[in-house]
Amino acid sequence: MTKLLKIEFKKILTYKIFWILIGLYFLFLSAGIAMAEFMINNMVDNTNKHLPIPIPHVVIYFFPWVWQNIAFFASIRYVLIFPAMVMIILITNEYTFKTIRQNVINGMSKAEFLASKLLLILLISVVMTVLLSIGTLILGISNTSDISLAMILEKSTFMLGFFVSILSFQIFALFFGFLFRNTGLSIALFTLYVFIAEPILYYFLKSPIVFENNISTYLPVNTVLRVTEYPAIPVLKQVMGLNLQDSVSFWACCIPLLYSALMIGVVYRILLKRDL
Amino acid sequence: MILETILSVNHISKRFGKIQAVNDLSLDVKRGQIFGILGPNGSGKTTTLSVILELIKANKGDFQWFGQEPSKETRKRIGSVIESPNFFPYLSPVNNLKIVADIKDFGYEDIDRVLNLTGLYERRNTRFKTFSFGMKQRLAIASALLGNPDVLILDEPTNGLDPQGIAQIRELILSVAGQGTTIIIASHLLDEVQKICSHVAVLDKGKKLFDGKVSEVLAVSDSFELSSLKYGALKEAITQHPAFQSLTEEKHYILVYFKDPVKAEELNELFFKNGIILSHLTERKRSLEQHFLELLDDNK
Repeated sequence: MTKLLKIEFKKILTYKIFWILIGLYFLFLSAGIAMAEFMINNMVDNTNKHLPIPIPHVVIYFFPWVWQNIAFFASIRYVLIFPAMVMIILITNEYTFKTIRQNVINGMSKAEFLASKLLLILLISVVMTVLLSIGTLILGISNTSDISLAMILEKSTFMLGFFVSILSFQIFALFFGFLFRNTGLSIALFTLYVFIAEPILYYFLKSPIVFENNISTYLPVNTVLRVTEYPAIPVLKQVMGLNLQDSVSFWACCIPLLYSALMIGVVYRILLKRDL
Repeated sequence: MILETILSVNHISKRFGKIQAVNDLSLDVKRGQIFGILGPNGSGKTTTLSVILELIKANKGDFQWFGQEPSKETRKRIGSVIESPNFFPYLSPVNNLKIVADIKDFGYEDIDRVLNLTGLYERRNTRFKTFSFGMKQRLAIASALLGNPDVLILDEPTNGLDPQGIAQIRELILSVAGQGTTIIIASHLLDEVQKICSHVAVLDKGKKLFDGKVSEVLAVSDSFELSSLKYGALKEAITQHPAFQSLTEEKHYILVYFKDPVKAEELNELFFKNGIILSHLTERKRSLEQHFLELLDDNK
C-alpha cells in the first residue's frame, strides 16, 4: 500500500497542473467562505426594505453551526469540481502518456493500478478534511464568544459528511476518467452531467406530474450534495421555510458510498476486460 | 546440454474485429538466445509481444514465462520497450526510472548505471518532454535494462534512431546478451535481425512462416541439399570444401551451408572425383531471404 502511494507521489510531486488545480480549489473555497456571510447579509438588507420589522444581520461562522456551514460551502458542485478534475486529469493522463501500459508491463497488476488511484483519492480526501477542519476551528474560535468544548464538538460530524462528499465525488470523476480515457472528453462529459444533465433530470423527476415519490434525491451527484443539505442559517428557515438539518445522517452518507463502490466495481471489470 | 525454456508460446490467436492479428502462433525461446521476430509491418509482431506482456488477452492459446503461469511477478523479471517510449513528460529521466524501480521492487542504485549505458546521464534531471525522439528511445531502453532483467523485450529498438544511434544500440544489445540475458527483438529489418539475432521466427499476417537459427533460416551463404549412398564419405568430403560453413542432417539428405557462393557443377565434379555418386543435389539459393523480401514487397 505504501509502495503504491509512493509511486503516486512521484507522479504528482512535480506535476504543475495538479498543484494549480488544488490551489484554485483552495482559492475558490476560501473566497466562497469569505463572501458567503457578506452575500447573505446583503440579501437580508434587500429583504428588510420591504419589511416593517427588520431581520438582524446573520453571523454564520460561530460554533457549533460553523461546521455545518463550512461543510456546506466546501461541498457544493462549483467547489468540488476542482478535485474531481484533478482526478480525471491524473487518470486520463495515464492513457494519454500510455504510462498505464508501461506500469502493467513493468509488473503492476491492473488491480494495483486502480488501488493506487483510489488510495490517492482517499489521501486527498483525508488531507482536505483535516485542512478544512483546522480552518473551521480557527474561524469558529475567532467568531465565537463564550466557547465550551461541548459547543466546539457538537456538530463536528459535518466534517465527516464533507469527507464522504469529497471522497465519493472524486470516485465519480475516476469512473468517468477510466470510462472515456480521453482527458477532454471525460472532463466535458463529467461537467455536462454534473451541471446540466443531472439537474435537469432532478427537476424532471421531482415534478409531481411525473413521479409522486422522492426518486430524484437518489441521483448520484445529488446524493453527494445532500450529505450536507443546507447551511445552518436560522434566517433562511424563517424566510424560505426550509427544514434545517440537525446532523449528518448515516444513511445520507451510505448512498454516495454505495454508488462509489458500484462504480469502482464497474471500473475494475472494465480494466480487466479491456486491452491496454 | 538442455537449455532452460524462458518463454513458451502455445497456439496463440488474436483477432481484432475482422483482422486476424495473430494466427495459431507457437514459439519457444531458450535461455541466452537473441530471438528475433521478423515480419513486415502489420504481421502481428507487436500484438504477439503485447499478448506475452499481458497487455492484451489472446482469444486462444496460452503462454508461460520461466515455466510458470504469467503474472505480475514474472513481468518484473522482464525489461521491455514496446512501440513508443512511455514516460511522464513532466518528470525527469531519474524520476521516471524511480517509478519503474518502485513497481519492480528494485532499489534506485541501478539508475545511474543504465543512464550511463544509454548515454543519458548528463541529461538525467531534464524533463522527458524536452528529449529528442532518439533520446526518448534510449530512455526506454535504459528503463528496460534497469535491474538486469532475465529477459529483454525490444520492439523495433532502433526505430527512429540515426545511424550512429543504431550502431550504439546494437552494440549495447550485444553486450547485454553477452552477459547471458535472453533477448527478444521484434523487427521488420532483415538486416537488423541478421546482425543481432541468434534465432528468428518469421511472421506474416499473424502466421509463423518458419523459425530456427538465423544462420540457417536467413543464411546469406548458399546452401545445397545433398544425398548419396556413400553417406559417410559424402559428409567427410563436404567438410573439406574450402567454403564449407555448416551442415545439418535432414531425413533424406544433408543440408550444407557455404560461406561463399558455390556452383552446383563444381560440387558435382568434386564428389565425382572422390568416387561419390550423388543421388540428390538441389540448390537452395537464398530462398528464405528471397521469400521474406517478396513478402515485404507484397505488403507495399
